[in-house]
Amino acid sequence: MTNLPLEMQPDSALEERVTSVLVAAGLVRRRRVWPVWAAAAAAVVVLLVGITKFRPKHALVPGNTYAVLLYEDPAYKPSPPQVGNVRVQVLSRWADSLNAAGKYISAGRLTGPGPLGGLFMVRATDDADAARIAASCPFRQWGGHVEVKRYDR
Amino acid sequence: MTDDLALVERFLRGRGEAAFRALYRAHTPALFALAWRLTGGDRGEAEDLVQETWVRALTALRNFRAQSALRSWLCGVLVNVRRGRIRSEWRIVDAPDIEPLTEPAGHDDAIDLERAIAALPDGARDVYVLHDVHGYTHREIADLMGIVEGTSKSQLNRARSLLRSSLP
Repeated sequence: MTNLPLEMQPDSALEERVTSVLVAAGLVRRRRVWPVWAAAAAAVVVLLVGITKFRPKHALVPGNTYAVLLYEDPAYKPSPPQVGNVRVQVLSRWADSLNAAGKYISAGRLTGPGPLGGLFMVRATDDADAARIAASCPFRQWGGHVEVKRYDR
Repeated sequence: MTDDLALVERFLRGRGEAAFRALYRAHTPALFALAWRLTGGDRGEAEDLVQETWVRALTALRNFRAQSALRSWLCGVLVNVRRGRIRSEWRIVDAPDIEPLTEPAGHDDAIDLERAIAALPDGARDVYVLHDVHGYTHREIADLMGIVEGTSKSQLNRARSLLRSSLP
């Protein structure tokens, strides 16, 4: 046997070319990369499902209905896996306090592209009260952006 | 379980891109070296050969059995792909242009040897590369190339004789 090298590195572009051909031929499945907002939105879904379930109803205060909108801006820090459902518990306690005050209506998720991941529907006596509610939302502690808008039927 | 077998099983579970890239990176340098020599140092042809080898190999990967090393199996696929291409090329061109060798191989003697190998006639070059460079037996070469062992031996003798006369 000769001692010529048994391995040679081809051009690095060949790997991409071969992979693309194999994907096109259906022999390899292309890796699907979920955008950050999709992962974050999924986390919000989990949060909101946990918050809305089994909550007793209280009589709502007189006033207007508002939507408290939760945005996962780039500054939002998703929950690390090791802390489990701590955020669910924190938001749930916040919703409990609103509910006890007659100011909680519902929570829900918003699907589709973009950073808007979920909302709380709340009852507030006026715009200033709604702003105070939004300002107290724990979602802001994690870098999330919170907006409040009055809901007119 | 060998690393190769683990890589194959991982790929076959989902045919995922990451699993394929792991296989590719583990074995393409050896496939490319073989392809480069079998094509007489034609880099473009060698890359086409490697690409077609992966297409064929992934199509038939479920047939791979762990009795043989994955690398040997892949090299066998490559040799067969090459045979098929030569047959079809014969109907199209008589004398394909091959770019001069520029691949560095370590030192001058090695470069001379690579050039001399590239200049061998196809059949003799294939047997020489498989036997003397990559360590295949005559029986394995006969199976891979669809020839009898005696032909493999005579082609090897011819290749060695031509190399002796062409090297300084």
